[in-house]
Amino acid sequence: MQLYELNLHEMIEGLKAKKFSADELLTSCQNRIDSLEKNLNALITRLDDKKISNPSGILAGVPTILKDNICTRDIKTTAASKILGEWKPPYDATVWKLLRDAGSVLIGKANLDEFAMGSSCTKSAYGATKNPHDISRVPGGSSGGSAAAVAAGYVPFSLGSDTGGSIRQPASLCGVYGFKPTYGMVSRYGLISYGSSLDQIGPFARTVRDLQIVMSVLAHHDEMDSSSFREKNYDFSYDESKLNLKGKKIALVKEFQSFNLEPSIANAMDKIKKILEDEGAEIIEVSLPVVSKYSLACYYALAMSEAHTNLERYDGVRYGYTVQDASGLKEMFERVRSYGFGPEVKYRIIAGTCLTEPSRCDEYYVAATKVRTLVAQEFARAFTQTDFILQPAASSKAPKINELDQIDELKSYEADLYTLPVNLAGLPGLSFFTGYDDDNLPVGLQLIGARWSDPEILNAGIVIENHTGSPKIANGGLN
Amino acid sequence: MKLTKEEVNDIALESRLVLTEKELEGTVKFINNFLTMLDSFKELDLKDVEPFSFAETLECPLRADEIHPFENTQGIINQSAHVEDNLFKVPRIMEAQ
Repeated sequence: MQLYELNLHEMIEGLKAKKFSADELLTSCQNRIDSLEKNLNALITRLDDKKISNPSGILAGVPTILKDNICTRDIKTTAASKILGEWKPPYDATVWKLLRDAGSVLIGKANLDEFAMGSSCTKSAYGATKNPHDISRVPGGSSGGSAAAVAAGYVPFSLGSDTGGSIRQPASLCGVYGFKPTYGMVSRYGLISYGSSLDQIGPFARTVRDLQIVMSVLAHHDEMDSSSFREKNYDFSYDESKLNLKGKKIALVKEFQSFNLEPSIANAMDKIKKILEDEGAEIIEVSLPVVSKYSLACYYALAMSEAHTNLERYDGVRYGYTVQDASGLKEMFERVRSYGFGPEVKYRIIAGTCLTEPSRCDEYYVAATKVRTLVAQEFARAFTQTDFILQPAASSKAPKINELDQIDELKSYEADLYTLPVNLAGLPGLSFFTGYDDDNLPVGLQLIGARWSDPEILNAGIVIENHTGSPKIANGGLN
Repeated sequence: MKLTKEEVNDIALESRLVLTEKELEGTVKFINNFLTMLDSFKELDLKDVEPFSFAETLECPLRADEIHPFENTQGIINQSAHVEDNLFKVPRIMEAQ
């Protein structure tokens, strides 16, 4: 077995017991990247720094990769957009500071859909990332590079961001575990904003126990993020006595039951329901009529409105792509933005501008904020009846890259219906591995919990993983 | 209500985006389909519903009103191609009519 194949907790144990050195581990992971990156294009920037900031930290010597919308001081951060050019942030995101202070070593910045707007990781100014289980297919997105990097064994864990499913959907398509924490659980300071009331940073890993380790580092109050939780403590430690689902209620969403699922996803649902029942949980049904019918429109109205505001800052004055010969400020802004943003980002900015204009604001933006209230209330009621909700994390297996052009833009948004309601209500969601389908592609599902139930969801995830087994490392196109 | 090509172009310019003819055509189709999708809100009675906010952020947490100078101002300045005497310099704001 190669060192890169170890899971995070095994790496930590091996380093601690001096079975191998941090240098050997980093070299093994770097070699893995060398052999696969030309197939996968999971990274925008590679780094070969081997400095360990804290040799006694919990993650001392463990390599990681961050989605390239997470700011890293003096290291190029692009959000996969031409508009940021060669920008090197003057500060670190809080999440990177926490990981570095725990001893982790950054070896790459991962590809994404531009400004995290997309669900395929093909809408990047740096080219498409490929699914490491089948390089003719997408890895999902927007955090596709982070998911692919963990699936292919570049690193044992990585970070992504999830505004409407951008951690959970690629985790599902790449066959890894991905966790979107409760809104407020992990600081977003230094995350390049897309939809600020929806954005959340979270980890990918190849076991749920590894997610626990990363969450124990990341879940801290940060006064630099006004949404960061206060006066609470969350225990993400691995504790076998808490791995018990006896008497727990796990709900299926009534309105989603009439949807035609792909056979591999339907089979996975049946398999996991049986596992949960065998563990003593009760499967029930909850009704979420507003969530199922109005979330999609509500989400995109809000995400685009917030994107339009957040992306106003890109004007070519202080950083990123710029022009030198503009006759006036208006011309400079227009030239910089028209060249710098890709098509999907332009769609969303223009749509957001449209929805927030005074003549349309009440009809669309304000209405969407009210629909969001109904969505959150419906979820809150559901969680008085159930502990968790079980549903798919993606509506289909990973699409072929060359078939994406045939999918209408708005139609592609519908694929997010299983994930984006979770962001509207600020809930935690775990995308977990269930097994492989007939094409040897991984199939994932999703467990959703009430706000701040993050430790309980991960414990439930371990119970499931104990039955399904952990995913194997993908071959990344190598024979 | 369907938006015309001219209206969408005006909105794009408001966002400081100049679209090619092909981009404009795609955007008109996209926006109009999107607005049709949002018309579903009219099926709901939202009269007495409050706009959403997270309970935890209803009260905006404030830090002490103290100055903490950012320690890496040079790091900010270094990233701009429009700097003069440590200040950002922009092209003229008032343009000739």
